[in-house]
Amino acid sequence: MNEVLKIGSSPSVKPPVDQVKKPPLIDFQNVSKQYPRKVALKDVDLKISEGEFVCLVGQSGAGKTTIIKLLTKLEKPSRGKIYVANRSLSDLRSGEVPLYRRKIGVVFQDFKLLPQKTVWENIAFALEVCAFSDKEINRRTEKVLELVNLIKRKDNYPNELSGGERQRCAIARALVHSPKILIADEPTGNLDPINAWEIIDLLYRINQRGTTVILATHNKQIVDRIQKRVILMKAGQIVSDQAGGKYVI
Amino acid sequence: MTLTLTMISVSLLMTFILRDTAESIRSKIDITIYFRNDAIKDEQIQQLAEKIKQVNGVIAVDFIDKSEALAIFKRLPINDNIKSPIDEKNNPLPRSVLVDTQNPDDIQAVVNNIDSIDSNDYICSECVSYDQNKEKVDKVISATQFVQLIGIGLSVFFGVIAIFNVYNIIKITITARSDEIEIMRVVGASNMFVRGPFIVEGILYGLIGTIFTTSFLLLMAKLSFGGGSTTNSSGFSISNLLGIDIYTYLVTHIWQLVAVQFLAGSVLGVVVSLISIRKFLKS
Ligand SMILES: Nc1ncnc2c1ncn2[C@@H]1O[C@H](COP(=O)(O)OP(=O)(O)O)[C@@H](O)[C@H]1O
Ligand SMILES: [Mg+2]
Repeated sequence: MNEVLKIGSSPSVKPPVDQVKKPPLIDFQNVSKQYPRKVALKDVDLKISEGEFVCLVGQSGAGKTTIIKLLTKLEKPSRGKIYVANRSLSDLRSGEVPLYRRKIGVVFQDFKLLPQKTVWENIAFALEVCAFSDKEINRRTEKVLELVNLIKRKDNYPNELSGGERQRCAIARALVHSPKILIADEPTGNLDPINAWEIIDLLYRINQRGTTVILATHNKQIVDRIQKRVILMKAGQIVSDQAGGKYVI
Repeated sequence: MTLTLTMISVSLLMTFILRDTAESIRSKIDITIYFRNDAIKDEQIQQLAEKIKQVNGVIAVDFIDKSEALAIFKRLPINDNIKSPIDEKNNPLPRSVLVDTQNPDDIQAVVNNIDSIDSNDYICSECVSYDQNKEKVDKVISATQFVQLIGIGLSVFFGVIAIFNVYNIIKITITARSDEIEIMRVVGASNMFVRGPFIVEGILYGLIGTIFTTSFLLLMAKLSFGGGSTTNSSGFSISNLLGIDIYTYLVTHIWQLVAVQFLAGSVLGVVVSLISIRKFLKS
């Protein structure tokens, strides 16, 4: 048996009553993704409830990024259905996709900050492109910079920041729309252990505030220490799904 | 872009010039109605002329009476021996009505219309002189049509080249800014917002192209045709050949040309940016 769901065995997992009552926030139903010459995902079934902290682990090429791309509708599944908050992503009209993306914050390994913009501008940019008022932009940017503890660095450019600070800036940008879900794709991949832990701690705090967090990583130490739900992927398939689990290969 | 807009402009300019030339030739083609029967009174002819003026497709009507016909005859560059027997007292020259038509293409229709209103049969069938010009008319018409066809063909040809050029330029800028586009999408910018800067960029290309092209054309025209035909050292000039000063022509038509360039350039730029950005906005 690969699939061991130890619901309720860990204090960090929501009580079973809640999970039974509430439909999952994210629901992959038999999803496959076929790239021109590569099967990236094969028959993936995955449910994630609101407020969960999920580690998506697996070696490079296992399909972690593909799951994230499908979830943000940057790619379409070849087969199967994906529901987020009970809506099928394939039913979203093209005009609704940007609105949908604002409810999901994404953080990448390479930060994806604009080098010619300061920390403040990088975050404000995410609001500017969505036509917020100047007042709202300032209010939200300041709030989110305080949350990631970067307010002192707001006028610096990305190349003047440490890796950890850059990733905190990227997280701040991802959070500026107050998303329901925060997805981090190998956010610590380019960081030294101390900076990495800083980021994990920040993700943990964000999760405590009620945001669902999905952390894709292949860092065994981190996964083992945070003791959250671990979904292990191998060659496009989920091979184990454990609450409060460890990264077992 | 400048190169292609120049090509468009030059072919456009050629089309303009040739069209205008053709137009002036065409406008010289008109109908002359002679009145050989001296019994018809001037007033009657003038009344008929007034009616002809109402006919569809007629721009102007000019009545030439005996004395005017004589004056014209006296001005003809022919031997005085032939001219001398004809004077005011002995004037066999017929009176005529010159009918200026809007479009030589429908000269036949105008003639038929004139025929139908000539209720008193003042006009004898062989007295309408357009038939003699018919061949000339047809030639000029087919020539202008040919010239316009070439003009359109050239513009389309260079337009296609321009589309490829702009496509490549914009592809480079889009590739250079693909990070920014990707970030915009990830943070939930609407497609229109992502397109916005590239639409502006497309229009900007049109504007820059127009400025360069117009300056380039003016400079070229000034250098090659501007100093008047006397300063042309080669002794051969296209201006002379066409009988038009291209520089003057360019200057007088500059705003039309700028407008066309800007319109063509920006439409091209915008359409091409929208096409090149499409694949970034898919899915
Ligand atoms: N755009 C693409 N075209 C073709 N193959 C791809 C594409 N993106 C990913 N893949 C392939 O799909 C598989 C899963 O990739 P990915 O989801 O990025 O893995 P991970 O993020 O776990 O390292 C890999 O074998 C990868 O080579
Ligand atoms: Mg990956």
